[in-house]
Amino acid sequence: MVAKHKENHEAVADERVAFGFWVYLMTDLLMFAVLFATFAVLRNNTHGGPSATELFSLPFVLIETLILLTSSFTAGIGMLAAHMGNKKQVLTWFGVTFLLGLSFLGMELYEFRELIHEGHTWQSSGALSSFFTLVGTHGLHITSGLIWMGTTLGYIWVRGLNSHLVRKLTLLSLFWHFLDIVWVFIFTIVYLMAFV
Amino acid sequence: MSSKVKHHTDQEVTPQQGTIRSYIIGFLLSVVFTLIPYYLVVYKTLEGTVLLATIIGFAVLQLVVQVVFFLHLGREKKPRYNLLFLISTVGIILVVVVASIWIMNHLHYNMSATDVADKVSTDEAVYNVEGKQVGTCSGEASTSHKIELKNGTAVPRHVYARLCDTLTIVNLDETARTINFGPPQDPGSYAGETSAAIYPRRNTVITLTEPGMHEFYDPALNGVFGDFTVTP
Repeated sequence: MVAKHKENHEAVADERVAFGFWVYLMTDLLMFAVLFATFAVLRNNTHGGPSATELFSLPFVLIETLILLTSSFTAGIGMLAAHMGNKKQVLTWFGVTFLLGLSFLGMELYEFRELIHEGHTWQSSGALSSFFTLVGTHGLHITSGLIWMGTTLGYIWVRGLNSHLVRKLTLLSLFWHFLDIVWVFIFTIVYLMAFV
Repeated sequence: MSSKVKHHTDQEVTPQQGTIRSYIIGFLLSVVFTLIPYYLVVYKTLEGTVLLATIIGFAVLQLVVQVVFFLHLGREKKPRYNLLFLISTVGIILVVVVASIWIMNHLHYNMSATDVADKVSTDEAVYNVEGKQVGTCSGEASTSHKIELKNGTAVPRHVYARLCDTLTIVNLDETARTINFGPPQDPGSYAGETSAAIYPRRNTVITLTEPGMHEFYDPALNGVFGDFTVTP
Protein backbone atom coordinates (compact mmCIF):
# COMPACT_ATOMS: atom_id res chain seq x y z
CA MET A 1 0.00 0.00 0.00
CA VAL A 2 2.89 2.35 0.67
CA ALA A 3 4.22 1.60 -2.76
CA LYS A 4 0.80 2.28 -4.25
CA HIS A 5 0.63 5.53 -2.33
CA LYS A 6 4.01 6.62 -3.63
CA GLU A 7 3.02 5.66 -7.15
CA ASN A 8 -0.07 7.78 -6.82
CA HIS A 9 1.99 10.77 -5.68
CA GLU A 10 4.28 10.34 -8.62
CA ALA A 11 1.39 10.06 -11.01
CA VAL A 12 -0.05 13.31 -9.68
CA ALA A 13 3.36 15.00 -9.93
CA ASP A 14 3.76 13.66 -13.48
CA GLU A 15 0.42 15.06 -14.40
CA ARG A 16 1.27 18.47 -12.98
CA VAL A 17 4.58 18.60 -14.80
CA ALA A 18 2.90 17.46 -18.01
CA PHE A 19 0.26 20.17 -17.66
CA GLY A 20 2.93 22.82 -17.02
CA PHE A 21 4.76 21.66 -20.09
CA TRP A 22 1.53 21.71 -22.07
CA VAL A 23 1.02 25.35 -21.07
CA TYR A 24 4.53 26.10 -22.35
CA LEU A 25 3.71 24.35 -25.65
CA MET A 26 0.56 26.41 -26.06
CA THR A 27 2.46 29.69 -25.54
CA ASP A 28 5.02 28.46 -28.04
CA LEU A 29 2.16 27.75 -30.42
CA LEU A 30 1.01 31.36 -29.99
CA MET A 31 4.47 32.55 -30.97
CA PHE A 32 4.38 30.39 -34.09
CA ALA A 33 0.91 31.73 -34.87
CA VAL A 34 2.23 35.29 -34.84
CA LEU A 35 5.09 34.27 -37.13
CA PHE A 36 2.54 32.58 -39.43
CA ALA A 37 0.45 35.76 -39.48
CA THR A 38 3.54 37.82 -40.33
CA PHE A 39 4.39 35.44 -43.13
CA ALA A 40 0.84 35.47 -44.48
CA VAL A 41 0.89 39.27 -44.61
CA LEU A 42 4.37 39.61 -46.14
CA ARG A 43 4.44 36.59 -48.45
CA ASN A 44 3.84 38.62 -51.62
CA ASN A 45 6.26 41.41 -50.75
CA THR A 46 9.14 39.94 -52.71
CA HIS A 47 10.70 43.33 -53.50
CA GLY A 48 10.97 42.44 -57.18
CA GLY A 49 12.64 39.12 -56.35
CA PRO A 50 11.52 35.75 -57.68
CA SER A 51 8.27 34.29 -56.41
CA ALA A 52 8.08 31.36 -54.00
CA THR A 53 7.38 28.91 -56.85
CA GLU A 54 10.82 29.62 -58.29
CA LEU A 55 12.55 29.32 -54.90
CA PHE A 56 11.07 26.15 -53.44
CA SER A 57 11.19 22.55 -54.56
CA LEU A 58 8.02 20.69 -53.54
CA PRO A 59 9.38 17.11 -53.76
CA PHE A 60 12.26 18.13 -51.47
CA VAL A 61 9.84 19.54 -48.90
CA LEU A 62 7.59 16.48 -49.19
CA ILE A 63 10.52 14.24 -48.24
CA GLU A 64 11.34 16.55 -45.31
CA THR A 65 7.71 16.30 -44.17
CA LEU A 66 7.59 12.52 -44.44
CA ILE A 67 10.84 12.24 -42.49
CA LEU A 68 9.45 14.38 -39.68
CA LEU A 69 6.13 12.49 -39.65
CA THR A 70 8.01 9.19 -39.39
CA SER A 71 10.16 10.55 -36.56
CA SER A 72 7.00 11.53 -34.68
CA PHE A 73 5.75 7.95 -35.11
CA THR A 74 9.01 6.35 -33.94
CA ALA A 75 9.01 8.67 -30.91
CA GLY A 76 5.52 7.35 -30.08
CA ILE A 77 6.68 3.72 -30.36
CA GLY A 78 9.69 4.66 -28.20
CA MET A 79 7.29 5.99 -25.56
CA LEU A 80 5.40 2.67 -25.54
CA ALA A 81 8.71 0.90 -24.92
CA ALA A 82 9.53 3.40 -22.15
CA HIS A 83 6.25 2.67 -20.37
CA MET A 84 7.03 -1.05 -20.61
CA GLY A 85 10.49 -0.39 -19.16
CA ASN A 86 12.33 -1.80 -22.17
CA LYS A 87 15.61 0.14 -22.21
CA LYS A 88 16.98 -1.42 -25.39
CA GLN A 89 13.86 -0.63 -27.40
CA VAL A 90 13.73 2.91 -26.00
CA LEU A 91 17.29 3.52 -27.13
CA THR A 92 16.57 1.98 -30.56
CA TRP A 93 13.34 3.85 -31.31
CA PHE A 94 14.50 7.18 -29.94
CA GLY A 95 17.81 6.62 -31.69
CA VAL A 96 15.90 6.30 -34.98
CA THR A 97 13.89 9.41 -34.06
CA PHE A 98 17.12 11.27 -33.38
CA LEU A 99 18.62 10.30 -36.75
CA LEU A 100 15.42 11.20 -38.62
CA GLY A 101 15.34 14.55 -36.79
CA LEU A 102 18.95 15.12 -37.69
CA SER A 103 18.32 14.40 -41.38
CA PHE A 104 15.32 16.74 -41.32
CA LEU A 105 17.48 19.49 -39.84
CA GLY A 106 20.19 18.76 -42.39
CA MET A 107 17.71 19.13 -45.25
CA GLU A 108 16.37 22.38 -43.82
CA LEU A 109 19.88 23.80 -43.48
CA TYR A 110 20.68 22.63 -47.01
CA GLU A 111 17.63 24.48 -48.33
CA PHE A 112 18.65 27.64 -46.45
CA ARG A 113 22.21 27.37 -47.73
CA GLU A 114 21.04 26.99 -51.34
CA LEU A 115 18.73 30.00 -51.03
CA ILE A 116 21.43 32.18 -49.48
CA HIS A 117 23.95 30.93 -52.02
CA GLU A 118 21.66 32.11 -54.84
CA GLY A 119 21.41 35.51 -53.17
CA HIS A 120 17.97 35.08 -51.60
CA THR A 121 18.87 36.03 -48.06
CA TRP A 122 17.02 37.09 -44.97
CA GLN A 123 17.58 40.72 -45.94
CA SER A 124 16.35 40.40 -49.55
CA SER A 125 12.68 41.12 -48.98
CA GLY A 126 9.86 41.12 -46.47
CA ALA A 127 8.68 37.77 -47.82
CA LEU A 128 12.08 36.13 -47.31
CA SER A 129 12.57 37.74 -43.87
CA SER A 130 9.31 36.27 -42.66
CA PHE A 131 10.06 32.93 -44.36
CA PHE A 132 13.49 32.56 -42.73
CA THR A 133 12.12 33.67 -39.35
CA LEU A 134 9.22 31.21 -39.37
CA VAL A 135 11.04 28.18 -40.77
CA GLY A 136 14.25 29.06 -38.89
CA THR A 137 12.40 29.26 -35.56
CA HIS A 138 11.01 25.80 -36.21
CA GLY A 139 14.53 24.61 -37.05
CA LEU A 140 15.84 26.05 -33.78
CA HIS A 141 13.15 24.14 -31.91
CA ILE A 142 14.17 20.95 -33.72
CA THR A 143 17.79 21.64 -32.79
CA SER A 144 16.99 22.06 -29.11
CA GLY A 145 14.76 18.96 -29.28
CA LEU A 146 17.69 16.99 -30.69
CA ILE A 147 20.04 18.22 -27.95
CA TRP A 148 17.44 17.33 -25.33
CA MET A 149 16.91 13.90 -26.92
CA GLY A 150 20.64 13.27 -27.16
CA THR A 151 21.32 14.06 -23.50
CA THR A 152 18.27 12.11 -22.27
CA LEU A 153 19.31 9.07 -24.32
CA GLY A 154 22.81 9.41 -22.90
CA TYR A 155 21.40 9.33 -19.35
CA ILE A 156 19.25 6.30 -20.17
CA TRP A 157 22.24 4.55 -21.73
CA VAL A 158 24.32 5.09 -18.59
CA ARG A 159 21.78 4.95 -15.77
CA GLY A 160 19.04 2.82 -17.23
CA LEU A 161 15.34 3.71 -17.27
CA ASN A 162 13.85 5.26 -14.15
CA SER A 163 10.61 7.12 -13.53
CA HIS A 164 12.37 10.47 -13.73
CA LEU A 165 13.77 9.71 -17.19
CA VAL A 166 10.47 8.28 -18.39
CA ARG A 167 8.83 11.57 -17.37
CA LYS A 168 11.52 13.43 -19.33
CA LEU A 169 10.85 11.26 -22.37
CA THR A 170 7.11 11.89 -22.07
CA LEU A 171 7.64 15.63 -22.22
CA LEU A 172 10.19 15.26 -25.00
CA SER A 173 7.78 13.23 -27.11
CA LEU A 174 5.05 15.84 -26.50
CA PHE A 175 7.50 18.49 -27.72
CA TRP A 176 8.39 16.38 -30.75
CA HIS A 177 4.75 15.73 -31.77
CA PHE A 178 4.11 19.44 -31.30
CA LEU A 179 6.94 20.38 -33.69
CA ASP A 180 5.52 17.87 -36.15
CA ILE A 181 2.14 19.63 -36.03
CA VAL A 182 3.74 23.05 -36.52
CA TRP A 183 5.64 21.66 -39.50
CA VAL A 184 2.44 20.34 -41.09
CA PHE A 185 1.20 23.94 -41.15
CA ILE A 186 4.51 25.24 -42.48
CA PHE A 187 4.30 22.60 -45.23
CA THR A 188 0.77 23.68 -46.11
CA ILE A 189 0.91 27.44 -45.66
CA VAL A 190 4.47 28.23 -46.71
CA TYR A 191 5.17 25.61 -49.36
CA LEU A 192 1.93 24.15 -50.77
CA MET A 193 0.05 27.46 -50.83
CA ALA A 194 2.85 29.07 -52.83
CA PHE A 195 2.01 26.71 -55.68
CA VAL A 196 -1.77 27.15 -55.62
CA MET B 1 -8.30 4.74 0.95
CA SER B 2 -6.71 1.73 -0.65
CA SER B 3 -9.62 1.22 -3.01
CA LYS B 4 -9.56 4.89 -3.93
CA VAL B 5 -5.87 4.76 -4.80
CA LYS B 6 -6.35 1.60 -6.81
CA HIS B 7 -9.20 3.14 -8.68
CA HIS B 8 -7.05 6.13 -9.45
CA THR B 9 -4.05 4.18 -10.73
CA ASP B 10 -6.21 1.95 -12.90
CA GLN B 11 -7.51 4.98 -14.68
CA GLU B 12 -4.12 6.62 -14.73
CA VAL B 13 -1.99 4.20 -16.66
CA THR B 14 -3.99 3.88 -19.85
CA PRO B 15 -4.97 7.43 -20.83
CA GLN B 16 -1.49 8.93 -20.99
CA GLN B 17 -0.11 6.22 -23.24
CA GLY B 18 -1.23 5.21 -26.67
CA THR B 19 -1.27 1.71 -28.05
CA ILE B 20 0.83 0.50 -30.94
CA ARG B 21 -2.39 0.34 -32.96
CA SER B 22 -3.26 3.99 -32.34
CA TYR B 23 0.26 5.07 -33.34
CA ILE B 24 0.15 3.07 -36.58
CA ILE B 25 -3.32 4.37 -37.50
CA GLY B 26 -2.20 7.93 -36.67
CA PHE B 27 0.95 7.58 -38.72
CA LEU B 28 -0.81 6.13 -41.79
CA LEU B 29 -3.53 8.78 -41.66
CA SER B 30 -1.01 11.60 -41.34
CA VAL B 31 0.97 10.29 -44.33
CA VAL B 32 -2.21 10.04 -46.39
CA PHE B 33 -3.28 13.55 -45.34
CA THR B 34 0.13 14.83 -46.45
CA LEU B 35 0.18 13.05 -49.82
CA ILE B 36 -3.36 13.99 -50.90
CA PRO B 37 -2.89 17.81 -50.70
CA TYR B 38 0.61 17.42 -52.18
CA TYR B 39 -0.70 15.67 -55.31
CA LEU B 40 -3.70 17.98 -55.52
CA VAL B 41 -1.28 20.91 -55.70
CA VAL B 42 1.25 19.25 -58.02
CA TYR B 43 -1.32 18.00 -60.53
CA LYS B 44 -3.61 21.02 -60.11
CA THR B 45 -6.66 18.76 -59.90
CA LEU B 46 -8.56 21.58 -58.26
CA GLU B 47 -8.10 25.30 -58.77
CA GLY B 48 -7.91 28.59 -56.94
CA THR B 49 -9.97 29.07 -53.81
CA VAL B 50 -11.32 25.50 -53.83
CA LEU B 51 -7.79 24.08 -53.87
CA LEU B 52 -6.73 26.52 -51.16
CA ALA B 53 -9.65 25.57 -48.92
CA THR B 54 -9.03 21.86 -49.55
CA ILE B 55 -5.36 21.89 -48.58
CA ILE B 56 -6.10 23.96 -45.47
CA GLY B 57 -8.83 21.43 -44.68
CA PHE B 58 -6.31 18.61 -44.92
CA ALA B 59 -3.89 20.49 -42.63
CA VAL B 60 -6.65 20.79 -40.04
CA LEU B 61 -7.51 17.07 -40.42
CA GLN B 62 -3.82 16.35 -39.95
CA LEU B 63 -3.87 18.45 -36.77
CA VAL B 64 -6.84 16.48 -35.44
CA VAL B 65 -5.17 13.14 -36.28
CA GLN B 66 -1.96 14.11 -34.50
CA VAL B 67 -3.74 15.52 -31.47
CA VAL B 68 -5.91 12.40 -31.11
CA PHE B 69 -3.46 9.63 -32.03
CA PHE B 70 -0.11 11.06 -30.96
CA LEU B 71 -0.97 13.48 -28.15
CA HIS B 72 -3.94 11.36 -26.93
CA LEU B 73 -5.83 14.46 -25.94
CA GLY B 74 -9.25 12.85 -26.26
CA ARG B 75 -8.42 10.23 -23.62
CA GLU B 76 -7.35 12.72 -21.01
CA LYS B 77 -8.87 12.38 -17.55
CA LYS B 78 -11.58 14.84 -16.52
CA PRO B 79 -11.39 17.79 -15.98
CA ARG B 80 -9.76 18.18 -19.37
CA TYR B 81 -7.53 21.14 -18.66
CA ASN B 82 -5.13 20.32 -21.51
CA LEU B 83 -7.93 20.23 -24.04
CA LEU B 84 -9.46 23.45 -22.68
CA PHE B 85 -6.09 25.15 -22.88
CA LEU B 86 -5.63 23.99 -26.45
CA ILE B 87 -9.08 25.24 -27.47
CA SER B 88 -8.54 28.66 -25.92
CA THR B 89 -5.12 28.91 -27.57
CA VAL B 90 -6.62 28.03 -30.94
CA GLY B 91 -9.22 30.74 -30.31
CA ILE B 92 -6.54 33.36 -29.71
CA ILE B 93 -4.62 32.13 -32.75
CA LEU B 94 -7.67 32.48 -34.98
CA VAL B 95 -8.19 36.05 -33.79
CA VAL B 96 -4.53 36.98 -34.24
CA VAL B 97 -4.01 35.30 -37.61
CA VAL B 98 -7.35 35.92 -39.28
CA ALA B 99 -7.60 39.50 -38.06
CA SER B 100 -4.02 40.29 -39.09
CA ILE B 101 -4.55 38.96 -42.59
CA TRP B 102 -7.89 40.69 -42.89
CA ILE B 103 -6.69 44.07 -41.67
CA MET B 104 -3.44 44.00 -43.58
CA ASN B 105 -5.16 43.02 -46.83
CA HIS B 106 -7.47 45.99 -46.52
CA LEU B 107 -4.59 48.27 -45.67
CA HIS B 108 -2.70 46.89 -48.60
CA TYR B 109 -5.64 47.36 -50.90
CA ASN B 110 -6.46 50.86 -49.80
CA MET B 111 -3.07 52.33 -49.15
CA SER B 112 0.33 50.78 -48.95
CA ALA B 113 3.57 52.77 -49.09
CA THR B 114 3.95 52.03 -52.80
CA ASP B 115 0.41 53.11 -53.49
CA VAL B 116 1.06 56.47 -51.83
CA ALA B 117 4.15 56.99 -53.97
CA ASP B 118 2.25 55.88 -57.06
CA LYS B 119 -0.57 58.21 -56.25
CA VAL B 120 1.71 61.21 -55.97
CA SER B 121 3.52 60.51 -59.22
CA THR B 122 1.21 58.77 -61.69
CA ASP B 123 -2.16 59.74 -60.28
CA GLU B 124 -1.70 63.45 -60.71
CA ALA B 125 1.09 63.29 -63.27
CA VAL B 126 2.91 65.69 -61.00
CA TYR B 127 6.60 65.16 -60.53
CA ASN B 128 8.95 66.99 -58.28
CA VAL B 129 12.05 68.09 -60.09
CA GLU B 130 14.42 70.21 -58.02
CA GLY B 131 11.59 71.34 -55.80
CA LYS B 132 9.38 72.47 -58.68
CA GLN B 133 6.25 70.69 -59.79
CA VAL B 134 6.35 69.75 -63.42
CA GLY B 135 4.17 67.64 -65.71
CA THR B 136 1.32 68.18 -68.09
CA CYS B 137 -1.33 68.11 -65.47
CA SER B 138 0.34 69.91 -62.57
CA GLY B 139 -2.06 72.22 -60.84
CA GLU B 140 -5.06 71.10 -62.94
CA ALA B 141 -8.28 70.18 -61.25
CA SER B 142 -9.26 66.60 -62.04
CA THR B 143 -12.08 64.15 -61.65
CA SER B 144 -11.47 60.46 -61.11
CA HIS B 145 -13.19 57.72 -63.06
CA LYS B 146 -13.34 54.06 -62.27
CA ILE B 147 -13.56 50.82 -64.22
CA GLU B 148 -14.08 47.62 -62.28
CA LEU B 149 -12.84 44.27 -63.54
CA LYS B 150 -15.23 41.83 -61.95
CA ASN B 151 -16.28 38.25 -62.77
CA GLY B 152 -14.30 38.39 -66.00
CA THR B 153 -15.89 41.55 -67.40
CA ALA B 154 -15.16 45.27 -67.30
CA VAL B 155 -17.78 47.65 -65.90
CA PRO B 156 -18.50 50.21 -67.31
CA ARG B 157 -17.52 49.50 -70.90
CA HIS B 158 -17.23 53.18 -71.87
CA VAL B 159 -15.78 56.03 -69.86
CA TYR B 160 -15.94 59.68 -70.88
CA ALA B 161 -13.41 61.96 -69.24
CA ARG B 162 -11.62 65.24 -69.62
CA LEU B 163 -7.90 65.71 -70.07
CA CYS B 164 -5.97 65.40 -66.79
CA ASP B 165 -8.73 63.36 -65.15
CA THR B 166 -7.65 60.07 -63.66
CA LEU B 167 -8.87 56.61 -64.54
CA THR B 168 -8.64 53.88 -61.92
CA ILE B 169 -8.91 50.29 -63.06
CA VAL B 170 -9.71 48.02 -60.12
CA ASN B 171 -9.28 44.26 -60.30
CA LEU B 172 -11.92 42.69 -58.04
CA ASP B 173 -11.26 39.14 -59.25
CA GLU B 174 -8.93 36.67 -57.60
CA THR B 175 -6.63 36.33 -60.61
CA ALA B 176 -4.13 38.86 -61.94
CA ARG B 177 -5.17 40.75 -65.06
CA THR B 178 -3.11 42.34 -67.78
CA ILE B 179 -4.54 45.27 -69.64
CA ASN B 180 -3.19 46.08 -73.09
CA PHE B 181 -3.98 49.38 -74.77
CA GLY B 182 -5.36 49.64 -78.28
CA PRO B 183 -7.69 47.29 -80.15
CA PRO B 184 -6.49 43.64 -80.15
CA GLN B 185 -5.81 43.65 -83.88
CA ASP B 186 -3.73 46.84 -83.60
CA PRO B 187 -1.99 47.09 -80.18
CA GLY B 188 -1.05 50.58 -79.13
CA SER B 189 -0.04 52.42 -76.02
CA TYR B 190 -1.36 55.01 -73.64
CA ALA B 191 0.79 57.60 -71.86
CA GLY B 192 3.90 55.69 -72.81
CA GLU B 193 2.67 52.31 -71.53
CA THR B 194 1.65 49.41 -73.75
CA SER B 195 0.15 47.41 -70.91
CA ALA B 196 -0.53 47.38 -67.20
CA ALA B 197 -0.55 44.41 -64.83
CA ILE B 198 -3.15 44.51 -62.07
CA TYR B 199 -2.86 42.00 -59.25
CA PRO B 200 -5.95 40.59 -57.55
CA ARG B 201 -7.66 43.16 -55.31
CA ARG B 202 -5.29 45.89 -56.48
CA ASN B 203 -5.73 48.75 -58.88
CA THR B 204 -3.83 50.83 -61.36
CA VAL B 205 -4.29 54.55 -61.79
CA ILE B 206 -3.83 56.18 -65.19
CA THR B 207 -3.65 59.93 -65.65
CA LEU B 208 -5.43 60.80 -68.85
CA THR B 209 -2.81 62.91 -70.57
CA GLU B 210 -3.59 61.86 -74.16
CA PRO B 211 -6.84 63.00 -75.75
CA GLY B 212 -8.93 60.83 -78.06
CA MET B 213 -10.74 57.51 -77.87
CA HIS B 214 -8.64 54.66 -76.52
CA GLU B 215 -9.43 50.99 -76.26
CA PHE B 216 -8.11 48.46 -73.78
CA TYR B 217 -8.43 44.68 -73.48
CA ASP B 218 -7.09 41.70 -71.58
CA PRO B 219 -5.25 39.42 -74.04
CA ALA B 220 -5.96 36.40 -71.83
CA LEU B 221 -9.66 36.96 -71.28
CA ASN B 222 -12.23 37.82 -73.95
CA GLY B 223 -14.71 39.42 -71.56
CA VAL B 224 -12.37 42.15 -70.34
CA PHE B 225 -12.35 45.08 -72.76
CA GLY B 226 -13.63 48.63 -73.01
CA ASP B 227 -12.70 52.12 -74.01
CA PHE B 228 -12.25 55.57 -72.61
CA THR B 229 -12.70 58.84 -74.42
CA VAL B 230 -10.65 61.81 -73.33
CA THR B 231 -11.76 65.27 -74.46
CA PRO B 232 -9.49 68.31 -74.09
